Amino acid sequence: MLEALWNNVDYIASVVLFCIGLYIIIAKNNLIKKFLGLNIMETAVFSFIIALGVIDGGDAPIMGAGAQAPFSSPVPQALVLTGIVVAVSTTALALSLIIRIYRQCGTIEADELREME
Amino acid sequence: MKKAFVAALLIVTAIPLLIGVVALPPHGDPDTPVHTHISARYLEEGREEAGADNIVTGVLLNYRGLDTAGEVTVIFTALMAGLAVLISHKKQPEGDATYDAAEAAAEDAPVRAPVSPVVSFVVRLLAPFIALFAVYVIVNGHVTPGGGFQGGAILGALFIALTIVLGRERTRTLMPRLAQPWMQGAALLTFVGVGIVGGALTGHFLGYPAQASLHLARELMMLVLEAGIGLGGAAVFATLFLQMEAE
Repeated sequence: MLEALWNNVDYIASVVLFCIGLYIIIAKNNLIKKFLGLNIMETAVFSFIIALGVIDGGDAPIMGAGAQAPFSSPVPQALVLTGIVVAVSTTALALSLIIRIYRQCGTIEADELREME
Repeated sequence: MKKAFVAALLIVTAIPLLIGVVALPPHGDPDTPVHTHISARYLEEGREEAGADNIVTGVLLNYRGLDTAGEVTVIFTALMAGLAVLISHKKQPEGDATYDAAEAAAEDAPVRAPVSPVVSFVVRLLAPFIALFAVYVIVNGHVTPGGGFQGGAILGALFIALTIVLGRERTRTLMPRLAQPWMQGAALLTFVGVGIVGGALTGHFLGYPAQASLHLARELMMLVLEAGIGLGGAAVFATLFLQMEAE
């Protein structure tokens, strides 16, 4: 059990990061902090997917002179690149919405917003 | 009460995740399904088939080109949604006679925080080098690590730094009003354009000619896509920043 844990310590780091992000989303009141938490969760997922594609002693999947097998898997890296861009887009949209909420309500604390209704 | 609830929820989330992670094959093992299925083929044939030394770029722009086109659409949609959310406020409030054009212009007038001379000097000094690096990253995306998204992010960051140091009036000339919509949609437009060219050559949207003699054509298509993604990405970041900074 412990050995399995130690072998997969990279994945466990992702799980820890994921839980930190989840904690921030639930526990923090400020909307911007909540979205920072969401970004941390996204980072956890990305690092997990990247870690899946790593190979022991592997090189970057770039061919050409001096390229030496084994190579890390290129598919997770391409998927994560897509994911990062989508994460940036959602963050930009979320921040725009938060700016709008602040203008309309004068606060971005979740509990104060709830009281306003 | 709330703290106990949060702790319980975190534990309930973490335990199944940890159990699942421990059951995975050891990290870095070359015999896991990630490495033995599709990646193996991409690594073996990708260089000739996709026309890019960097297999990640090959996967991104050739094998999964449609995926990337969808992703570019996501960025563009996010930009449009962000602008819609931010701009709609600026409409003239009804029945408010005191709100006239001059006042609106005064509201738009930049309120600049003072910038330290050190920051200002360093940004001015480094700007051309950062721009050169961004172009290098974009153009070499199919040979070295990098590509349109990364280079676009560098260009966008450069634009933001310059806006902070020089003020928005001066950096705005980098994005002329007439060219602005074309720059924001550049990534999507190049994907449609290259897709149609690929369609004319191969019969499939975003298809790449497969003959070995057309290696240069494949490389050129990728280069155009990378340039479009880079320019479009930078324009999206810049527009969102300008819009948010206008508050």
